[in-house]
Amino acid sequence: MAGPSPALVASREADAAAASAVKALQSNGQLEVARERYAELVARHQRRAARIAYHYLRDGAEADEAVQDAFVKAYQHLASFREELPFDVWFTRILINGCLDRIKARTRRERWLLPMTGKVGGRGTAVQAAEAGSTERDVTERVAAGGLSPEQTLLGRERRREIAAALSKLPERQRSVFVLSHVEGRTSREVSALTGLNESTVRVHLFRAIRKLRTLLAPANSDTAAGASGELKGKRRVTS
Amino acid sequence: MSLLSRLGRGHLDDTEMARLWTSGDGHPHLETCAACRGRYTQFESWLNGIGDELRAEAEEAFPADRLLTQQAQIARRLELLERPARVIAFPKAARAVISGHSNVRRWVTVAAAASLIAGFGLGQVVPLRNAVQQQAAAVIKPQPHLTTSEATKRAIELTPEPATPQDDELLSDAFRSRVTSLNALDELTPHARAAGK
Repeated sequence: MAGPSPALVASREADAAAASAVKALQSNGQLEVARERYAELVARHQRRAARIAYHYLRDGAEADEAVQDAFVKAYQHLASFREELPFDVWFTRILINGCLDRIKARTRRERWLLPMTGKVGGRGTAVQAAEAGSTERDVTERVAAGGLSPEQTLLGRERRREIAAALSKLPERQRSVFVLSHVEGRTSREVSALTGLNESTVRVHLFRAIRKLRTLLAPANSDTAAGASGELKGKRRVTS
Repeated sequence: MSLLSRLGRGHLDDTEMARLWTSGDGHPHLETCAACRGRYTQFESWLNGIGDELRAEAEEAFPADRLLTQQAQIARRLELLERPARVIAFPKAARAVISGHSNVRRWVTVAAAASLIAGFGLGQVVPLRNAVQQQAAAVIKPQPHLTTSEATKRAIELTPEPATPQDDELLSDAFRSRVTSLNALDELTPHARAAGK
C-alpha cells in the first residue's frame, strides 16, 4: 500500500496541532482564542466538507446546514477527539452521520407530503426544484462570464444530471463508498474508518458501485470514454 | 458471458475491469491484448470523468463567496454557544425573559439605590425645609398677639353697622344714575319701599 503523500501528512500534523491547541484553550476557558484557532480548521476542511455533504444530500442549502452543524458539533465535542485518529477522518464521520440523519428525516417527511410537481424519478421534489433553479441560474451565469457556450453548458449539465441520477440509484453504502473513495480520493483504510466497514467490504461495495454505474450510464459510455481518453489519470484511489 | 469469453478469447469484460480497477491488481492479459488495454484505458477515463463531473458540480454549488458566508455563520454559531440561552417569552408577555444573571437588571438596581442614597444625603446637607418655611413666612406675616382690650376694640371696629334707609336711598340713587337705560323699567314696576309706606 502506498502511504499518504507528504502534503497530506503535513496537513494532518497541522490539524492535530490545531485541534490540541483548541482543546487546551477550551479547558483553560480562553474561548475567544479557541474559536479563532478553530477557524483555521474550519477554513482548511470547509470546502471538502461541503462537497461531501452535497454529494450525500444533493441540495445546496441542506448541505450548507449539515456542514455548519458538523463544525459546531465537532467544536462542542472536541474534548472527545483522540489525537491518534486524523482530525479530518473524525470530523468527516460526524459530517456523514449528520447527512444520513438528514436523509432519514427527509425520507420520513416526504412520505407524508404530497409531491408539489410532476413525477420525477423517485427523487425529492424540493431537491429537483432547487436543482432546476440552480441549473437555469448557472447557465446564465456561465454565458455571462464568457466561459463555455450555452450548448456545451447545457450538455454538461445534462451529463451531470444523468450521473447524479445514476448515483442516487445506488444503495446508500455503495454510494458513500464510491463518493469517499473515488470522488474524495480516500484510501480504503480511511473509508473503512469513516464508514465503520471492513476494508474488504469497502472494496466490494466500490466494485459493485462501479459495476452498477457502468450499467446505468451505459448509453453514454462510448461518448464519454472517447471524449475523456486524453485525460487519463491512471490513478487507483483505493489501495489495499 | 464473462466466463465464456474468458475461456474462449480471454478478453476482459466490464466486470473484470471494475474488479481490476478496484483492487489495483494487474492482469497478464492486459499486457498482451492491445484491444483490452485500450478498453481498460477508456474505462479508467470514464470513471475519472465521473469523479471530475461530481467534483465540479459540488464546487459550483459552493462558490468562494458562499464558503465565506458559511464560515462567518459557523463563527457566529460558535460565539452564540457561549452565551446563556435566551428564553423567548410567550406572546402574551411582550418582553423577553432573560435567563441567568442579567447585568442590565443589576445595573438598574444599583443606580436606583445610589440615587436614593444621594437624595437622602442631599436632603440632609441642604436645609430645604427651612428655606421653604422662611419663604412662606415672608409671604404671610403672622399677626402680633393682641391683648383682650385690643381685641375687643378691633371687634367693635370690624362689626358692620346696621343699614339705614338713607343708605338705601344713596345706593338707589347711585344705581339709578349709573343705569339710566333701566329707568323706564324702574318707573313701571312698583317699588318695595313705596309699597311698604
